[in-house]
Amino acid sequence: MSGIATAVDITLNSLVLGGVFLIVAVGLNIIYGLSRVMNLAHGSLYAIGAYTGYTIVSLGVNFFVALLLAPIIVGIIGLIIERIVIAPMRKRSMIYTLILTYGLMFFLDGLIKYVWGNEPRFVAIPAFMRETISIFGTHYPVFRLTTLVTTAAVMIGLMLFLNKTRIGMILKAASTIPEMVSCLGFNMNYIHIGAFILGCALAGVAGIVAGPLTTIDPLMGHEMLISSFVVIVIGGLGSLRGAVFAALLIGLVQTLAEFFITDLAMVIVYMMMAVILAFMPRGLFGEGKFE
Amino acid sequence: MPDSHTSLSPLKLIGLVVLFIALALLPFVWGNRFYISLITEIMIYGLLAMSLDVLLGYTGLLSFMHNAYLGIGAYVVGLFLIHVSPTSLWLACLVGVVFTGLVALPVGWIQVRTGGLAFALLTLAFGMMFYTIVWKWYGLTGGDDGLMGVPSPDIQLFGWSVGNTGNPAHMYLLTLFVVAIALILTRRIISSPFGAVLEAIRENEERAAFVGINVRRYKLFGWMLACVLAGTAGALYILCKGYIGPVTMSAFAGAGVLMMVLLGGLGTLWGPIVGAGIFIYIQDYISTMTEHWEIFLGIVVIFLVLFMPTGFVGLGNFFKRLRKD
Repeated sequence: MSGIATAVDITLNSLVLGGVFLIVAVGLNIIYGLSRVMNLAHGSLYAIGAYTGYTIVSLGVNFFVALLLAPIIVGIIGLIIERIVIAPMRKRSMIYTLILTYGLMFFLDGLIKYVWGNEPRFVAIPAFMRETISIFGTHYPVFRLTTLVTTAAVMIGLMLFLNKTRIGMILKAASTIPEMVSCLGFNMNYIHIGAFILGCALAGVAGIVAGPLTTIDPLMGHEMLISSFVVIVIGGLGSLRGAVFAALLIGLVQTLAEFFITDLAMVIVYMMMAVILAFMPRGLFGEGKFE
Repeated sequence: MPDSHTSLSPLKLIGLVVLFIALALLPFVWGNRFYISLITEIMIYGLLAMSLDVLLGYTGLLSFMHNAYLGIGAYVVGLFLIHVSPTSLWLACLVGVVFTGLVALPVGWIQVRTGGLAFALLTLAFGMMFYTIVWKWYGLTGGDDGLMGVPSPDIQLFGWSVGNTGNPAHMYLLTLFVVAIALILTRRIISSPFGAVLEAIRENEERAAFVGINVRRYKLFGWMLACVLAGTAGALYILCKGYIGPVTMSAFAGAGVLMMVLLGGLGTLWGPIVGAGIFIYIQDYISTMTEHWEIFLGIVVIFLVLFMPTGFVGLGNFFKRLRKD
């Protein structure tokens, strides 16, 4: 393979991976931004998204229908979780909420193993997606491009929703000055619920688009949780611009690590996260907010 | 807070001494090696959970991956026994604990610049870093396979060999003594003015700083105490098991330690040791019945946080208050 082809490969792969990280991280960000809940079960919801997609596709439903259904199902699961365990924690200290979501992670992981078992699964993607197309000399698989397009579409849709619709603008306002939004007569309870469902649905989308990229196994959520933490920390908690930048950066680092098998790559990423947390807790762009 | 500052009443002191003697005599009257080893493991994890309690219960800092420091201690002791000297037990333990402290110092220096959520996420970043290093550095740590073939040295006291760490009963007694000493020392430290400063930081960091306390320095002391205790637990761990794998240092195992502290009750020191007992017993018991023990563990944790945030020790105090009323 020529140098250019390798470069194109690496660029596209890191965009694909970064896109998935971005969607998961933005989901986490939205929940944190609106409810101040750092959801450690987010990775497990991502895994549930992937498994749900797998099950729907293996029932013979079209992949693209599954792409719509999986986030809805994960969103409903999010609603149930919010009502039963997250809502009673509103007035409690942050540490207890963190530990609660840690327990939730155990529960959901156990549930995944109970329903789908331990062995890895593969999503059966449509025939045309299994082909490759030639871009600058590299034969690039179509399903990866589909993932790229889907993640881009989801992000653009989310931006439009947050910036152009009334509900989106209320959500944005509530993440900056919740008291004011509450005073204006909007029910903060609904906003918390909505944020949680939206965040979970985003994890579900990420799960199903990432399904064809990797094998689906019960541990996929853990790796994703850690990676998305790195993304939101480097980008700054609650900062969208920062998240985009950080997601692409982490995507690039992980892709490079896969290409050149440098085990140190992830260590460097964790060190970066540590340095940023300690010395620039508001992220690279200084837009994040820590309570 | 439970009565961690008041000195023990004579009755309680006698009770504790009797409990200690009973525990010390246990391996002589009960020959079941499996359960003796299980209790040893409970005590080791109890020590780790207690050290996390110093951080979480007293200083108010949450560490997701305190097991990383148990891992570091265990790996260093194991490597020392394999590569340097297979017989010098105390030297190996000393090297292991000191090394854990040396690793924890720069990490702590960065850690204490933050608090709350940032601190918790930072422990995750460092923990994952150590985990990745141990997992990938195949040449030194054995990678995925773990560190195998750790020799069991004799336990030497003043030149006399009193036992061997390969013997479950001897290992049990060694662990019992070390954990008891660590518990007494930590209790002493925590009930000193130093401990009061830590609690002041937990209650209100800003106010503590205004009173003139160097918050960062005290947080660092608390952190170092917790990490050195965890390293001690690591030394016992490798001697007891003769093996350690990267799984022991994973985020998943870290969650388990957190659960032990919660199960037992925050800010009590001995509560987490009880919590470790409950946790390891449940894990052992449920995992023999079903492979889906995570579901039960998750439910237990959620239930605890929602309805019983002070743990089983707190439950005891609750009943005590109920009786008084």
